[in-house]
Amino acid sequence: MREIEQQRTVAPGTTRLAIALGLTALSAACGTKDNAGIHAASAATTRDVGGNVALPALLNRGAAWLPPGAGDGDWKMPSRDYGGTRYSPLTEVTTANASQLQLAWTFDDGESHYGHEMTPLVANNTMYIVSPFPNRAFAIDLTKPGGSVKWKFEPNPSPIAIGKACCDAVNRGAALYDGKLIYNLLDDHTVAVDAATGKELWRTKLANVEDGTTMTMAPLVVDGKVYVGNSGGEMGVSGWLAALDVNTGKELWRAYSVGPDSLVRIGADFHPFYPWLQGKNLGETTWPAGAWKHGAGAVWGWVTYDPDLKSIYYGTSNTGPWNADQRPGLNLWTSGVFARNASDGMAKWAFVFTPHNEWDYDGVNENILVDLPFPPGTSAGGAAGRTRKVMVQFNRNGFAYTIDRTTGEVLVAKPFGHENWASGIDPKTAMPIVVPEKHTVPPGRWVRDICPADVGVKDFEPSAFSPRTGLFYVSVQNVCMDYKGREVSYIAGTPYWGAQMTRHVGPGGDYGEFIAWDAATGKKVWGRPEKFLTYSGALVTGGDVAFYGTVDGRFNAVDARTGKLLWSRKLGSGIISAPMAYRGPDGHEYIAVAAGVGGGAMVTASQPGFPARGSSYYVFTLGANIPATPESGGGGQSNAVQTQGGKP
Amino acid sequence: MSARPILSRPAARMTVVLALGTAVAVAGCRRDDQDVRGGAVGDARLPDGAAVAVTDTTGLPTAGAIPRVAIGDLAGVGNNTLDATIPNPYAGDRAAAEAGEQHFVDMNCAACHGYDLKGGMGPDLTDTYWRYGGSPADIYKSIFEGRPQGMPAWGRALPSAEIWKIVTYIESKGGAFPPALADRGRQGDLGDKDTTAGSTLKGRNNVH
Repeated sequence: MREIEQQRTVAPGTTRLAIALGLTALSAACGTKDNAGIHAASAATTRDVGGNVALPALLNRGAAWLPPGAGDGDWKMPSRDYGGTRYSPLTEVTTANASQLQLAWTFDDGESHYGHEMTPLVANNTMYIVSPFPNRAFAIDLTKPGGSVKWKFEPNPSPIAIGKACCDAVNRGAALYDGKLIYNLLDDHTVAVDAATGKELWRTKLANVEDGTTMTMAPLVVDGKVYVGNSGGEMGVSGWLAALDVNTGKELWRAYSVGPDSLVRIGADFHPFYPWLQGKNLGETTWPAGAWKHGAGAVWGWVTYDPDLKSIYYGTSNTGPWNADQRPGLNLWTSGVFARNASDGMAKWAFVFTPHNEWDYDGVNENILVDLPFPPGTSAGGAAGRTRKVMVQFNRNGFAYTIDRTTGEVLVAKPFGHENWASGIDPKTAMPIVVPEKHTVPPGRWVRDICPADVGVKDFEPSAFSPRTGLFYVSVQNVCMDYKGREVSYIAGTPYWGAQMTRHVGPGGDYGEFIAWDAATGKKVWGRPEKFLTYSGALVTGGDVAFYGTVDGRFNAVDARTGKLLWSRKLGSGIISAPMAYRGPDGHEYIAVAAGVGGGAMVTASQPGFPARGSSYYVFTLGANIPATPESGGGGQSNAVQTQGGKP
Repeated sequence: MSARPILSRPAARMTVVLALGTAVAVAGCRRDDQDVRGGAVGDARLPDGAAVAVTDTTGLPTAGAIPRVAIGDLAGVGNNTLDATIPNPYAGDRAAAEAGEQHFVDMNCAACHGYDLKGGMGPDLTDTYWRYGGSPADIYKSIFEGRPQGMPAWGRALPSAEIWKIVTYIESKGGAFPPALADRGRQGDLGDKDTTAGSTLKGRNNVH
């Protein structure tokens, strides 16, 4: 593990810290009365708990990397910050006391039919939750004991959407911005709701659900723009990302992942790093005539934003159909990533992880934006000995990519779990070196034991990054497949899939693992094998505690530096959501997570011990923070003295 | 009609003759032991105020009982003009099953229900759980009409004979239950002991 001690010697970092503190104080002064009331607690729960801080500049990135008005105890977007780190600066829960975490309260959204892949949000002493289909939103008043529903919003999306979603009628969360709760409905509408009242403010139709397009991703909202993308990589869609006006919902522009440059929003400012990605209209010419129209490249994952470079980053889905025999060519820009000008959507660069994708290795996983120092002597070419602005993606294909986010150059690409389809990534072209016997073309024959399976070494479940440890925290999957390509014809509204599969556990027999990863060197620092699939997002906190869940419903807290298990609770269903941390009205740190197995995790549903579906949210805090007596209200039969427990 | 049933006498099957108004006159021509699905096409031509005979199957005493108007118990079944118990004209025809398999792949059925029919985006077609009925005629109707939550209506795209061949293919894989068991399946009575000789029905006590 790197230990970089520079916080007291690097002047720019100190300046940024001062600016950040100034902005925090300003926002507290101008913020809600709730925030103003907990200033002392705020200081108490974000104090330095010791330990080395690996990357102080990232620890103090400042307000530009957070949604406007977000305090350190808030969580206003699924990844908390625009860089996608899922790092909470709260420090009350530490490696020393995490064993004392207790259940504080629970909530159930009633939609146990479908998987729960979202992250709850918290601001203004209110928790916001979006259910899977039918995408109900709930605002929960955290000032009431045990939480109470402040409002409920029922958008009533079209039920047709259920059958168009390939992999469960999920939703990956909402964004809070300017008093609005903004999220996508499965039936291809983006909706904005007044966060205070639950009243619908606008609803914009993005696509026709009957054609097989759905929307499941969480929007990113920055500088007055809402970025949303489509799902449907198995339904013959053409992928896109659209920008909407946050006040009106009006569509400002749309950038496709396939097709001619005009549709892809590629112009004079487009500078992909690698020669094989350079040229005119490659999104059209790297396909058989017209095949790009159903070539997928859906945008159903995460969007991150760099406020300094003013760029957005997002991945594109698998290539359609899965049967690659029907689409000879590189099939750009599917299974890749775009860096775009956040304002006009014009592409700055693009990279493709898995060209001519034969295995359903989507490129949509989160791109976490950090500035990493590369130790001298590392393999990262010209980056060695320097700090580079990078994006890190743990790709479905099993390789963790550390990419210069200014240029699109791949600095590090190493396997972060078990894969056997590629012997490595070519250092010159950054293309995978495919193991010949793992090609699925020609179709019509079984290709045995391809690792990973379609669900990847990691799926959508978002990783976390701690500036304190300098490490990434990642749920890793160990699933392999036998695969047979099948000829398929396009019938609108039905799957455009073209593959037959069976899946099995990979070497060692453990379906999951939770790892800490060093993205500068491309090395695993520690790992915790799990018998059941790990398909949850990760959270890491200022107390150096990392949280994750398993599909059999274990919610674990581990030491972020060593991986040592600190605490574990079995929840009612499997965990495929991403945990988050917030500061309650009482000033204390709370950890929230949803337990509702579904989605891609169901590929392991035949494993003995696999739990039933569920729809519950669990909120934990240190036991001392939980009132010692039952909540008041109701019966009132006891004359016992009511104590306040840990409440101020 | 509003009197409470008296529960003092032994349970007995009974027939109650009703004079129902226009609203339910559509049920008028059915045999007294038949539910709506067995009705003839064109019920709307029945005269108003026709006497309707319906069977009370509660097994409770007759006096004061409220008769059951048989309306069918499954979504998509109520308006059926196809008897759920009619056999598949291609039943057991191997060539038809093979043609059905080809349709199953070509029409992308396999993408949702699986190339092994074990389910995926869509439900498993090899078990005895059929939300909209599992007799061959019920399955034909589901393919023809489509079903909520994603099942397209293929009635406009495929000729009737080809839909029956897809049903044949599903039957050949152990999905569907024999036409004669349509009512039993609808009422959840497809236990192992109820299956007919040679049936591939798995029963309902499946352990996973």
